[in-house]
Parts: sequence; structure tokens; C-alpha cells
Amino acid sequence: MRNAWLVACREFAENVHTKGFWLGIAMVPLLLVLGFSAQRLLESSTPSRAFVVVDPADVYGDAIDAAVERLHQREVLKAFGEYFSRHAVRGKTVPAADLEATPAVDVEKVLQEFSDTNPAALEAFVNAGGLAVAMAKVNGLIAPDAPPFVQPRKLFVRVDLPAGIDPEAGPAAVADALRPWLRGEQKVEIDGRPTDLFAAVIVPEDIADHVSRPGGVPRVPEPGESVQYWAANLADTDLRTEIERAINDQQRRAEYVAKGMDAAAVQAVQRTSVPVVKLDPRKASGREQVSLADQLRQWAPVGFVYLLWTSIFAVASLLLNNTIEEKSNRLVEVLLSSVTPGELMFGKLLGIAAVGLTMILAWIAGMVGMLWWNAGPQAEQARSLLDVVTRSGLLPAFVGYFILGYLLYGSLFLALGSVCNTLKEAQNMMQPVMLVMIVPLLTMMFIPKDPNGTLARVMSWIPIYTPFVMMNRAAASPPPWEIVGTTLLLLAAVAVTLCLAGRIFATGILRTGQPPRLVELWQWLVRGA
Amino acid sequence: MSQSSQPVLVLDGLKKSFGAFTAVHDVSLSVPRGSVYGFLGPNGAGKTTTIRMALSIYQPTAGRVTVLGQPSALLVRDRIGYLPEEKGLYKKMRACDIIAYFASLKGMPSAAARKRALELLDKYGLGEFATRKCEALSKGMGQKVQVLASIAHHPEFVILDEPFSGLDPVNQQVLEDLIEDLKREGTTIVFSTHIMEHAERLCDRLVLIARGRAVFDGTVAEARRTIPRRIVIRTPVDPGRLRGMPGVTGLTALGGDRHEVTLADDGDADAILAACFRDGIPLVGFDRSEPTLRDVFLRLVGAEQAAEEVA
Repeated sequence: MRNAWLVACREFAENVHTKGFWLGIAMVPLLLVLGFSAQRLLESSTPSRAFVVVDPADVYGDAIDAAVERLHQREVLKAFGEYFSRHAVRGKTVPAADLEATPAVDVEKVLQEFSDTNPAALEAFVNAGGLAVAMAKVNGLIAPDAPPFVQPRKLFVRVDLPAGIDPEAGPAAVADALRPWLRGEQKVEIDGRPTDLFAAVIVPEDIADHVSRPGGVPRVPEPGESVQYWAANLADTDLRTEIERAINDQQRRAEYVAKGMDAAAVQAVQRTSVPVVKLDPRKASGREQVSLADQLRQWAPVGFVYLLWTSIFAVASLLLNNTIEEKSNRLVEVLLSSVTPGELMFGKLLGIAAVGLTMILAWIAGMVGMLWWNAGPQAEQARSLLDVVTRSGLLPAFVGYFILGYLLYGSLFLALGSVCNTLKEAQNMMQPVMLVMIVPLLTMMFIPKDPNGTLARVMSWIPIYTPFVMMNRAAASPPPWEIVGTTLLLLAAVAVTLCLAGRIFATGILRTGQPPRLVELWQWLVRGA
Repeated sequence: MSQSSQPVLVLDGLKKSFGAFTAVHDVSLSVPRGSVYGFLGPNGAGKTTTIRMALSIYQPTAGRVTVLGQPSALLVRDRIGYLPEEKGLYKKMRACDIIAYFASLKGMPSAAARKRALELLDKYGLGEFATRKCEALSKGMGQKVQVLASIAHHPEFVILDEPFSGLDPVNQQVLEDLIEDLKREGTTIVFSTHIMEHAERLCDRLVLIARGRAVFDGTVAEARRTIPRRIVIRTPVDPGRLRGMPGVTGLTALGGDRHEVTLADDGDADAILAACFRDGIPLVGFDRSEPTLRDVFLRLVGAEQAAEEVA
């Protein structure tokens, strides 16, 4: 036992002294930081995009302008909400003397007012007077040392048609003339800075004749009979979606008016909305509403499955590698003149388990730390995620499944390492193993959609997949008997695998030359020698 | 039998087969306590297999091993030191750590093991490399580190498999000194080699293994006696009349002016020299060098191979 302990200590010390180990430890917090800042980075690095509208009959121009402005206001509201939530002085009470000057305000209420960007909230924000009024409203509630609020950049800016292009020349001619700009060969200007023309919207003068109505003959319209959206960037569809919706809203409004309805009434009707609330029957009565945290709880296990898979295989590969190292330079002979194969195997499993546990505990600490510290722009998500991670029982499940999964795969890898002389041989033997191992990663995204379905339940009972699939299902409260049953089966599988791997290891570790054939492996297993 | 006179290692009818191939046939020997015992033999003779069986790394197909009075080396592994034939170290470990690690696996307390590691490295000229990683050491230095690792725990019985291979003459001498030191401390040493000069200088007893069989087991002097003593004389005349002298068992012309005189065990080389002067045999050269282990080796191994070929 002392020898196994010494072997374990050596394995641990050797592995925590490698760069790979520290990189691995830094990985999770790094990924989280990247995840949280990627969106912001993407937004701040995307330049304002210029587009032109050619609409000689002036049918949709105003509607498009309004839609783009609305898009911008939404960004402003979002940025403002984040700014306010970060810098608000919480729990502040306005002195009674000032109550007359400023209406009594509750910071939490104000926070809530700006915490959502749904259409109704946006409507309220814009109607109340937009940013200027909102700023005034929160004036006394922001920490004195807070930096001033910076408005987000406009995502899309409508620019004038380049000089020399006749908007009335017809869609085909205008499109032809705009080609050099759309291809980036010529630049337009935003605030005096040259920039590419991102898109061009060309509305044919006779578009009113091509509106499709019920009862008409269905046919595919010619480009000349449609509003044309020209853009070289096919991936960024925000502007196209927005413009398409604005045009259609405008058209329907016009149709209502044409049928004799009151324009103001139509406007009002278009702004109505029916709230739809998501509820979960599993939650306590009165609190069934699905929150952000609930959605995160549904999906957080996917992240854990990925971490589980990565950590188990990263760590089990260490076992494979150092077994082959000891075998290929015959260190194992010296070792076996000092310790039994069983002690050696147990010590290695223990030492590398300690490496793995250190790594995942560091990950968890890093994750919780990052989320706790990140009260910034994504504060809401960070806080909810932290809540989910620490209170949902996912963490103990993760640690438990890591240990069992590691013992299962670790002993398999040790046995594999013991019969190979070089890393290359091991890689050849690993290929079929990899094919089997990749399955939980493939099913990882499907299982949360039907966590107690047939696929999930069947896979849960296959011990090599149990840790991953059960982790995957953890948030969906699988039946307790399934949790107990699969865990018992997994424990039994771990015990059997350890025992068989021990037999292969004891024989294989001293063998040189060709890796054994399957028949030989079978003999080792049966004879135990 | 008292503890001190009991042999350290007894092999009795040891045999090892790998499938259809038999690497070791019926090897029996006994290593006395405190002796330096050589395992000699050509490459592939079965030396390493025999050593692995002695250490219970391999289970013999037949026969019995007794090490330090026990039926298996595993029972007394803390009292044994072993240097395997193929040398290797953990590349990322420091020299002092690796010695301390192997010593602690043999039951030494960690602090004592570490102290001992540093002492040994200092003593055998590797003090400045103590904290170097093994991947930064030269092959010879690495090998020395490994030898030190095998003796750090003060074993009473040390088995060194090909300890000299790959060392330069200076380091071979360091290793010979080390073996002498161990012997002075009373350690029993078995080492295998195919370089006869080392065996000649170091061994009290030796076994010669060829094709998996022990073809000779005894002291170095006994080994020499297995081939007749001989004198090579160089003379321009026919030394035929030496033939009738007492103690002379044969006279062979080797070509040119060289003639070989073979002597019986009690034959006296000085008497031959005197006879040459007396009988007026003019001598150009008189070479009375003893047969070397190399001669013994070539003769015994050659005979074994010849026998094998006939069979």
C-alpha cells in the first residue's frame, strides 16, 4: 500500500509539473471569459454598415428608416439597461425632502423597467422619450464614480445614393450602376469616413402592381417585380429581415387604409401584443414561470457533459502515455523488482485521479469565481448560471460521474498501454475505441430535448455511456430507480473492468515485441496470468 | 546452515520456454554470500532471462529459485538491488529525485532516501547534475544514475545486467570501483557481461552460459584450467626434443618459427625455458601468458556451438 502511494505521489508530481496541466486548468475560466466577452467584442468590432434605398415612388422609404431606428433604439435600451444594472446604487432611498422634487423611485423597479428588450418595453422606452428621458430618470441612482454612458454605435446607417446614379433609371440600371460599390471597389462615406456599401434596397416604381394577394394565380415573381435586396454578405441577415418586415407592415397598413379603415386605429392595432408566458409543471405552484435560470438549468448539463468527456479522456490518456513510457524504456522492470503489478496499477490510477480531480476542482472554482466576479454586462446570465451551477446538484453529480467514468476508462487505457510498446501501436489500437467513445458527444445536444426518452434511457444502461448520458439527463430529474440502477451497474462494470484490466496489465506490462492477438488477450483474462 | 554461510542465490534446474522456444535449459548455480559472481555469455545466451527468473519477473517453466533463503525475490525485494539490461529513466524527473524515488520504493524513508541520493551522486562525480532533469543527461550519466538508483537502499544483494555496456573507459573504471566498494561493504553482486576483462578483474566466481545452458560454473582459476596451459616459443630450429620432457603433453608447429608447447597441470614453464637453454634451442621469443577468460570463453562457447550444430 505504501508503494502504491509512492507511485501515486510520483505520478501526481510529474504531471502537475507539466505545462499541459496548467493550460488545462486555465482552460475553463478562459472559455467563460471568451464566451462572455465574445458577443461584446463582436458588437464593438462590427463597423456601422451603410446601405442605400432606391425608392423613386417613395413607397417604403419611411418605413425602412423607422425600422432601422427601432433596431438601434433596441440596442440603446439594452446597453443602457446593462449600464444601469452595473452602476446603480442599490437600496438607495431618496431623502424625504427631495420627494417632492423627484418622484419616489425604487431602484429595483427602475432596474426592472430597463431589464428587458421585448417589444412592449422598447415601445415604452421610445414613447417615454428614449435615452434622454431615461437618463434623467436614473440620474440620482447611479454611483457618482460611474463612467458616463456611451451610446452604442448604429449598426446600420442609410446613406445617400452615390452621385451620378439616376434613381429613376429602373431597377436593372440602378443595380448595374451600384455594382462597383456593392463589390467594395468603390466606397461610400459615413460621417466622412469611407466604408463599404453593405446593401442596396431597390424598390421598382410599379411595385404596387406586384403585391401578391389571396386568390391570385400563384407564381414565382421575376426579380424586376420584387423589392430587390442586394448584398455581398449572405451571412448577416439582420438588415434583410428587418427591412422585409418593415416593408410588409407598411404594405398591410396601406391595404387596411385602402379598405376604408382608420389609419390611426390600424397603427394602434398593429402595436397590440398578447403576452405568452412559459410555465413548467414540475415547479412549485405559484412559481411555475420559466426563468432564465430554468432554461440555463436545462442546458447547463450539456456543458458539464462536454467537460466530463474532455477531462476523463485527457486524464485517461495520461495513463496510457506514461504506461507506454515506462514500458518502452523498460523502467517497468525496475519498478516491478520493487512493487507488484497490482500496486503499480493502483498507484498510477490513484495518482492520475488526483491530477484529474485537481484539474476539475480548479475548473469548478474558476467557473464559480468567474461567474461571481463577472457582475458586468452579462450580469443577469452570469448570476443565473452561478445559481444553477451551485444549487442544482449538478456539481456533485459531475464529480461523482468523473470518478466512476475515470476508473472505467482509466483502467481500460492502462490495460491498452500495457500491451503496446510504442505510442504508435497504441494509436492504432485506439481508433476503434475512439469510435465508441465519441458517441456521447454526438448525442449530447439531442438528449436535453427528450431527456427521458428511449435513446437517453437505453444509453443510460450502457456502462461506458452511463456517466455522460446520466449527466446529460441530470436536469430533467430522471426516475430515482434509474439513477440508482444505472449507478449500481456502473459500479459493477468498474469493478469488473478493474479486475480484468489488472490481469491484462500484469501480463502485458513485461511483454515485448508484437502486441498480443485477441486470442492471447482472452487467454490472459481467463487464466489470470 | 547459518545466515552468513547460506548462499544468497540458488538456482536449481531452471528452465524457461516462450512458446516453442526454450531460452534457458536446466541452469543450476549457487551464489555464495559476499562474492562477486559473473554471468558470462554471448548475446542471446539466456543471461537476462535467467536474471529475470531469479528476480521473479518471469516465472520459470521448471526449476526452483531461492533468493536470500526465500522461494521468491518478491518476498525480499527490499533487500535486492536490480539494474535491468535496457536502461531507461523518467525523462522529466531530476536525477536526485529518481534515485530517491526508487530507494523509497524499496522501503527507505523519503528524507533518508533523498539524502542518500545526493551523497551517492556526489561520491560518483555527478553532484553538479543532481538537480538536472534526466532528459538533459548524457547516456553514460543516465546509466550511472540508474546504477546508483539500484544500490541506494543499501541492498545486501545486487544484480546488475550488462552494467558496463555503453560506458566509456573512464566510466567503466568508475563502475568497477563502485563494484569493489560494494564488495568491501559485504554486498553480494551478480553481474552479467560479455566483456571478459571486467569479469576477469572483478569476479570471484562465474557461470558461463551459452545457448541457454550453463557450460561452466566455478572460480576464475578453475575456468582457466579448463584449457590446457601452453607456451608459445619462437625458434628457427625444430624444438622436437622438448616433446619427451616431463609435464609436456604436446608440441604443435604454428607456422613460421612459432611452436606451441602444451603443459600438464603440474607442468613447469621455467623448466621448459631452462631446457631450451640447456639443449641449445635458440629462442627468438618465449610467451608464457596464462590463458585468458576470453580463450576460455571462445573455447567453451565454440564447443557448445559446434555440439549444437552436430545435434
